[in-house]
Amino acid sequence: MNFANTLGKVIDISHSNLEIASRINAILNIVSGDLLFEEVLVYTLDKDRRLSCRFMNRSSRLFDLLNDYRSHVGEGVVGTVAQKRSPLFFTSRDVPPRLGCLFYAGLDDVLPRYRVFAFLPLADDSFLYGVLLAGSSSKEAISSDEKVVLSILSRELGGILRTYDLLLSSKKQITELATLSELGRILTSTMEPHAILENIALITAKTLNAWFATIKLDLAFIRFDGQRFTSGTIASPMEGQVLDLENEALRLGQPVFRTDARIGEGSSAPPLFLFAVPIVAKDRILGTITLCLKQEEQRDIADDQGDRYLVNMIANYISSGLENVLLTIKLRDALRELGDAQRRLIENEKMRSLGEMMANIAHEIKNPLVVIGGFTKRLAKTARLDENEGRYVDIITKEVARLESILNEILNYVKEAPLLFELCDINNLLDEILYLLASDKTWAHIKITKEYDAHLPFALCDVQQIKQVFINILMNSFEAMRGKGTITVGTEQTTSEEKPFLAVSIKDSGGGISPAVMDNIFNPFFTTKEKGIGLGLAISNKIVTHHGGDIEVKNKPGEGALFVVYLPSQSRTTKEG
Amino acid sequence: MEQIRILLVDDEEHIRLLFKEELEEEGYSIGLASNGFEALEMLKVGEFDLVVLDIKMPGMDGIQTLNEIKKVNKEQRVILCSAYGEFKQDFSSWVSDAYVVKSADMRELKDTIKNVLGV
Ligand SMILES: Nc1ncnc2c1ncn2[C@@H]1O[C@H](COP(=O)(O)OP(=O)(O)OP(=O)(O)O)[C@@H](O)[C@H]1O
Ligand SMILES: [Mg+2]
Ligand SMILES: [Mg+2]
Repeated sequence: MNFANTLGKVIDISHSNLEIASRINAILNIVSGDLLFEEVLVYTLDKDRRLSCRFMNRSSRLFDLLNDYRSHVGEGVVGTVAQKRSPLFFTSRDVPPRLGCLFYAGLDDVLPRYRVFAFLPLADDSFLYGVLLAGSSSKEAISSDEKVVLSILSRELGGILRTYDLLLSSKKQITELATLSELGRILTSTMEPHAILENIALITAKTLNAWFATIKLDLAFIRFDGQRFTSGTIASPMEGQVLDLENEALRLGQPVFRTDARIGEGSSAPPLFLFAVPIVAKDRILGTITLCLKQEEQRDIADDQGDRYLVNMIANYISSGLENVLLTIKLRDALRELGDAQRRLIENEKMRSLGEMMANIAHEIKNPLVVIGGFTKRLAKTARLDENEGRYVDIITKEVARLESILNEILNYVKEAPLLFELCDINNLLDEILYLLASDKTWAHIKITKEYDAHLPFALCDVQQIKQVFINILMNSFEAMRGKGTITVGTEQTTSEEKPFLAVSIKDSGGGISPAVMDNIFNPFFTTKEKGIGLGLAISNKIVTHHGGDIEVKNKPGEGALFVVYLPSQSRTTKEG
Repeated sequence: MEQIRILLVDDEEHIRLLFKEELEEEGYSIGLASNGFEALEMLKVGEFDLVVLDIKMPGMDGIQTLNEIKKVNKEQRVILCSAYGEFKQDFSSWVSDAYVVKSADMRELKDTIKNVLGV
């Protein structure tokens, strides 16, 4: 046997640029062929320092049997070799070696076939990387020359494994760096904030091969549509667990995890690993990033070096970037508000100049109209008209009256009357109005329900104008119900920004406002009614706004409309007061 | 019984014509003026039980005319009759005895005239 030849081949291969697993496999095959071992296997150390059988020669039969089992350092023959870092050799005269510590099903039948075994540590001066196992059925013993060859081989294999380790850890570092640089790119991009957060979740989930990754913002100070950004899906049974964990991470200000999360109720569902890390900026916690991993990954997470380190790093990394994103949102909100204010200003300005124009036109039209209408009436009185002519004159008169009332309303709308404030008992006022309206026979089939707050404070208002408001809204309800239905009028006390208000709600069963026109109902001259003018709500809104109040519409299409009028109230003024 | 005399002041000819015909039908005797100066001149030379005064007029408007009239004769009864109600908010219009918004329907004006004259 030419050992030098064998070693030459081995060294060639170990220095080749074949892929590492292929190098090891090739070497094992050479050893098997040249030194006549049917079994040449390599155990390597896992991250948690347990030995498992990872590489084999082509003809190995034991590999499949040994492959399932992992042994601790110090456990069984393989573990002992690893621990002592010295080789062990067995012949058929020795007690058959127990390869691990436990009994291998099936191994007992196979082992007696082999007559010699060699176990050698794969190590360099400082580290142990694994164990080489060689077994033969044709040898009686292992010669000292063979032992030397095997020990040279094992050093060579150890070297390859070391490279392998280095490669793995540098791969990991590359992944980390790639992840961080990808995150950095996203955090500094001009994407919409929610897109940024979604992308962070996505990258985190992808890098860590997670079921899902979810970022939850915990920010009262910022308005943000949806405070959660998730990549993957959070199965609904898990939502509660995720929330709990997030809250705990927020409360403690440090990472927390649990290993018993489950997607389903049944025990068949494998337990999952949930891991929540707070995202901490300079002076506050911005939120959490939570991951759900399969249990195999848990081993990494549980030790401080592995993915958990990566998650922490990601959380740290995004927190500073996130602050910028949040500031951007705040800025954007502020800008939007500014824009809104500006638009309102322009709108007001437009309305005002439109109003002035309308007033001028109305002025010019009113006098001729009075003349037309007035003389038409005189014609009707003095001329002898036949039936048709009489009808025409009648029509002219009616149309003139309509135009006149439109012009009057325009001018009422345009010109703002100064308010005449007085203390007003709104419940009383409503009673008065409802009595007035309901006494008309067209209201015969309108049911009126009152839900008053008996202790309603006074409102300080221009009673005539506020009366107009309620009449407008009630008339709209009446018109919407086409003669039949229920109007519910209620009053109650509320506050807005700590100031006392009273709320008058008027609800009808008139089918509501079609969503298509909803945005327009307060616009002057918007109407869906044949005979409407479209000033009712425009005027009402103006009046209420002048009072420092507000009108709110809650619409239920198909059912009815609810108008709520908010008016500032006297805080503790009672009716007696 | 002596006829009640009303001075009608309006810059629009057709309004004057319409009001004159309508009010004469009610039995009043009508004098006409087309602006504030003319009205003040006519009040100097003749007596009127009532002035019906338009507001929007070129030169001297109705409110100014009203004040001039009242300066001369505090007892002179005046009804402001404008196309619009907006001048109701003008304090200086309050010295008038009534305020009527012009309309093709003359009933309000006629009722108000009766009220002010107390007939
Ligand atoms: N209670 C309601 N139910 C259904 N639609 C309503 C109701 N209130 C208002 N609307 C809708 O809003 C529009 C505007 O109302 P708004 O009171 O301003 O004008 P209008 O009633 O049409 O005319 P106006 O009140 O000047 O005679 C109405 O034409 C109607 O389409
Ligand atoms: Mg209306
Ligand atoms: Mg005029």
